[in-house]
Order: sequence, then C-alpha cells, then structure tokens
Amino acid sequence: MTNETSTENKIESAIGERMTTEPDRPGQAVPATAEVPGVIETKDMSVFYGDFLAVANVSLNFGANQISALIGPSGCGKSTVLRSLNRMNDLVATARTEGEVHYHGQNIYAEGVDPVEVRRTIGMVFQKPNPFPKSIFDNIAWGAKVNGFKGSKTDMAGLVQEALEAAALWDEVKDKLQESGYSLSGGQQQRLCIARAIATKPDVILMDEPCSALDPIATLRIEELMMELKENYSIVIVTHNMQQAARVSDKTAFFNVKLNDTGMRTGRLVEYSPTEQLFTSPKEKDTEDYITGRFG
Amino acid sequence: MTDTKDTNIHFHQELEELDRKVLSMVDRAEQMVEMAVQAVTNDDVDLARRVVVLDRGIDATYMEVHQDWTSLMARNQPLGSDLRRMTILIQLNVTFERMGDQCVNIAKIAQLNHGLPRVERICEQIREMGDLVRPMIRTAIEAYVRGDVDEARLLPAMDQPVDRLNANMYKETVAVGNNPQLLEWATKMLMVSRALERIGDQAVDFGEQTAYLMTGERAEFDEDGMTRPIDDHDNI
Repeated sequence: MTNETSTENKIESAIGERMTTEPDRPGQAVPATAEVPGVIETKDMSVFYGDFLAVANVSLNFGANQISALIGPSGCGKSTVLRSLNRMNDLVATARTEGEVHYHGQNIYAEGVDPVEVRRTIGMVFQKPNPFPKSIFDNIAWGAKVNGFKGSKTDMAGLVQEALEAAALWDEVKDKLQESGYSLSGGQQQRLCIARAIATKPDVILMDEPCSALDPIATLRIEELMMELKENYSIVIVTHNMQQAARVSDKTAFFNVKLNDTGMRTGRLVEYSPTEQLFTSPKEKDTEDYITGRFG
Repeated sequence: MTDTKDTNIHFHQELEELDRKVLSMVDRAEQMVEMAVQAVTNDDVDLARRVVVLDRGIDATYMEVHQDWTSLMARNQPLGSDLRRMTILIQLNVTFERMGDQCVNIAKIAQLNHGLPRVERICEQIREMGDLVRPMIRTAIEAYVRGDVDEARLLPAMDQPVDRLNANMYKETVAVGNNPQLLEWATKMLMVSRALERIGDQAVDFGEQTAYLMTGERAEFDEDGMTRPIDDHDNI
C-alpha cells in the first residue's frame, strides 16, 4: 500500500468499465444481481488487526445503483468489511488487508493507488453524525475545497445548494447556511454529513449504521433519502436493524462469527442474496437462525 | 449449532401458542364435518344445532387469533421461517373459520330439510364425501405439525374422488324426478356436496401452506401433488 504517487487517473479511468463477473463460477465473487453491473468487488479479502484475523475470505460483488446491506451479529466483521471498501482501515495502524478490492475492475489496494482519492470516490457516512465545527455552508464547502474544488464563489454556492438538495436538507437550512452545523437536529446533522459526502462527487457511498443514533422519523428521512440517492450512487450500508436492511436494500450480505481451533473469533460471509429472499427464505441455516433470533 | 441460544424465546413461545390456537380450530372443524354430515344424512336437527353452537367457538378463536397475530406482528416483525409461519397462520385462520362456516351451512340445510322425503343413495354419497374429506383434514394437520411436505403432497390425490362425487351429484339431483318436495331436498343436498367439496379444497390449500413453510417456495400442487409454480399459467 502506498500513496507515493497520485493515481487519480487510474481510479477515474476505471469508472465506466463495468465488470462482467459470471454468476456462480466457483471461486468468483457472488454477482451483485443478474443483469446489474458491479461497482465494487472484493476478491478473497481478509482483514487483520495485528495477528487477529477479523474477517476472512470475503468475495462479494456490490451492484451499481443498488443499495447493498451488510448485516450480522456484533464482531462479525461487517464494519471492517465496509471500511476496507474505501481503505478507511489504512488509518488503523495495525490493520492489514489481504486479497483484492476492485472498484470498476481496478484493485484499490494496488501499488500506486492513492487512498485519499479512493475515499473521495467511495465516500463514507458514519454512525454518529460528525459535522465539522463550522457553519452549515462550510461543512459542505470545506470538503470540496480539500478535494481540489477550484470554482468561483458562485460555483461553490451552487455546489453547496446542489449537495444539500441531494441530501434533502436544502429547504430546512437555506435560510441559515451560516449557522453552526451543530445547531441542527441529529437527523439533520446526518443528512448534512451525507451532503458533505455527496459534495465531493463520489460514485459510491458507504454508510456505517447511519441511523442508529436517530429517532424513527429522522430514520425514515434518511431511508427515503437513500432510495433517492441510489438513482445516482451505489450504496453499501452496515446496519444492526434487520428491518431497515429489509426495507431499503436490494441485496443483503449476512456475516457470522466463527470460532476457529485457536479460539479466534473471525467473521465470515455466510450468504449474499437478494434481500427479499434472504429475509423470507434464506438459503443457509446460519442465516435462518440469525434472522429468527436463534444464534449462539 | 449445538450451542444455539434462542434470543427470541418469548416471541417463539407466543408463536407456538398462536399455532396451537389455530390448530385447535381445525381440530374442531374436523369434528364439525362429521357431525354436520350425520345431521344432514340422518335428519338429526339436534345434532345440527350443536354444529352451529360449535362454530361459535371457532368464530371466537378466529377473533382471538386475529388479535394475537396483530399484536405479535406489531411487537416483533419476524423474519425467515418465523415470517413464513406468521403469514400462513393468518391465512389458515381464515381458511378454518370458513371450514366452520361450511359445516354451519350443512347444518342449516339439515334443519331446512327436516321432515322432507329423501333419497338414500344421495345420503350415502354425502356420507362417502364426508368420509373422504375428514381424513384429508387429518392428513393436512399431521403434515403441518410434522413439517412433512411429502405427506402434504398426498392431498390433491385424496381430493380427486371428492371432486368426482361432487360432479356426480348434479346427475343424482336431476335423477330424483319431478316430486317438488324431493327436488327441494335434493337441490339442498347439492349445496351440501358443494360445501364438502370446498372443505376438501381448503385441506389441499392447507397442504400447500405447509409446503411453503418448509421450502420457502410459494406454489400450488397439481393433481399429483407436484409443485406448480404460481406463475405457471399454462397448466391451470
């Protein structure tokens, strides 16, 4: 892993090239869905924290303009997998990723790929809304500036409005753009963070339990927003709330924790199926046990 | 998994209780079929009255199940086989309530036909239909309780003679001749035949629900008990 050279072009050029994974080929990732092109594909990916194998041999193909959900019990590695999809785990000193993660066919862990550019293209929204201690306007503008926005002030105002509109927040904040991001409610703050992610023009948005700190009404707004956003973005969401996964996602991956011979608890992918199937007639007994509340 | 814990144990206990309640309806319906057939073929109005009374019990359970089901759903939002069982139970609740209603229809016909002249051959045929339908209900219950799809698949074959007898009943009705009282009696017995034929169909439907519960595949049985996908319109 290195960020010695900027490889924006590599990542950018990968956009538009769509993977053509054949379904059900042994050793291949599970296809996103039939006829849906993939956007991110993990190939035999394992993540370690020091000597601890957190999650092993994950092969998944996330579909473009789809919402893919990752579910499973605590410690199953779902957040680890999510954070590996845009190299967020690089920020953890002991973290190490094996295998490959392809973004439109380009391995984002290949030598020469700039993780900062990866994170711009594959944005992330976190569990707890984390606006910057700045105005609503600057929360959006700052991220864009850092990511090389070079337009005029008017262009920036346009970008901020566009991002806030896309995050379904504009009407609520248009008259108080200079107020602190902290003045907003929890749900509004989370939508501000989504707007901030959108402002950097990503292709994929990763969401790590985006509604777990929100009340049901704010949750509903975020879920509605996700459904709108998938028109233009691909979304991968980690959620503890199975009903949320069932409501919003097209495909769901279920992870479980397996105890190995040495007592290490490692997360593994159990099943990746269309959401409706996974929640009504799962293929794997482990999935059935989990979604019906029977698990060890 | 040997060390599986049920973290949903309270839900599963309530679900089992709901299951028992729904099955108690079909147990009672089976008993009511026997009584209703006896009442209508033996001109026994007292027995017919008892059928009507028994149905009040089914109706009360139907309301209770509806209430419990709604509460359970609101408090849990089950998934997987739990969700499939819940969808089946609400459907079976309606099916068994209607089975009870069919028995009441037969019992009411027994009361209306009281004292009218009768044709023993038709009574025999109705008894035969009752004798065919009751084992179907029993088979459907057993298949459900054991989760035995193969047993459930026997139901369409068991239903075929019921359908044949029902079809034959039209001929028998025409054959009674022009005696107005006899014709009135026979026409009503045609409705009894139709009610029993419906109960047979409801038992087959019960079997299909069991297959869905166990396999997760929504399907209807063909005449041989094989699965016919619900979107297969060519073979209907």
